[in-house]
Amino acid sequence: MSTDYTDLQLDAMRELANIGSGNAATALASMLGREVELSVPRALALPLADAVDAVGPADRTVSSVVLPIFGDIDALVLLLFPTEDAATLCGLLGVEAGTEVGDSAIGEIGNILGTSYINALASMAGLAIEPKPPHVVTDMLGAIVASLLSQTVGETDSALVLDTGLDVADAACSLSFLLLPTTGGIEEILGRLGVGGA
Amino acid sequence: MGELAVSTAPEDELMTIGLGSCIGVAVVDRARSVAALAHVMLPEAAAIPDAPAGKFADLAIPALVAESERMGARRVRLEAVLVGGAQMFDVGVGSTLDIGARNAQAVREALAKARIPVRAQETGGRRGRTMRVHVGAMTVTVKEAGGREVELWSGSPGPRRSAEAIHR
Repeated sequence: MSTDYTDLQLDAMRELANIGSGNAATALASMLGREVELSVPRALALPLADAVDAVGPADRTVSSVVLPIFGDIDALVLLLFPTEDAATLCGLLGVEAGTEVGDSAIGEIGNILGTSYINALASMAGLAIEPKPPHVVTDMLGAIVASLLSQTVGETDSALVLDTGLDVADAACSLSFLLLPTTGGIEEILGRLGVGGA
Repeated sequence: MGELAVSTAPEDELMTIGLGSCIGVAVVDRARSVAALAHVMLPEAAAIPDAPAGKFADLAIPALVAESERMGARRVRLEAVLVGGAQMFDVGVGSTLDIGARNAQAVREALAKARIPVRAQETGGRRGRTMRVHVGAMTVTVKEAGGREVELWSGSPGPRRSAEAIHR
């Protein structure tokens, strides 16, 4: 199985991330009643050893929501918030961060954003996929990303990470949105988009 | 991830930041001041020609032994310290069995096969950890997210201590 992607394939994946996260940003904006800005998505095909560093400093403490996706493809949607920003977001929703209610609110945000993202992905690529319930963990970025990648990459030595930043206007709150497809999932997506067969 | 390092320089510190379900395996020869560290990600490799040496438990242990011997260590004196193997998420894709526990098990089996005693370990639980091997002092320290650095093992001359913490 190929681990090198062509520019065309990476462009297609980036476009997918753009549409998915655009949809998620719209959902977040309507939930918060604020504008949400979107960064240009990155599609990173990397050796495993570099994948964590590409996402951020491994020892930074972050809040994360993980949403497993299953169906025609298996993947993980991962939302990462700096802990202060998770607190800001909780504040915007009127709940206290670091409490059970706060974690549940963060999980729900992850659920709504992740579901919007994968809905866009499903309709664009013609995939039947469903999310499982979200899971909230606050820990070291490196530990979170590495633990998830070890589930998705299996025996291959490269990871594909689709990464977008979302910024909430008038509040110091940003989050990154990552899609970590399993290796088989990537092939499937590329095939559906008509750019398969690397 | 998947990497392996070895050193005999007293000022060196071998480090793996943010171990989640992965395992940091340190192998040391105190008499020769050789320390090696691997970041194990998965229990076992299928036949993959160009897999990184540290990635799979079954390949990482022989690689640690070989690298340590290359730096002057004696096989019979090798001792090991393990950190990591947490289960950070209840959810996952594919085989959702606890990868952290499977990694820890695979590393222990591979060490037993190589007849390397485990002097200290801190595995399992739900928290990520950072592991440091201080080559000169021959100590291993562990730090959890937001926590402080704690000495797990000291292989320096003087009072010898060992630690065990296996969270289930």
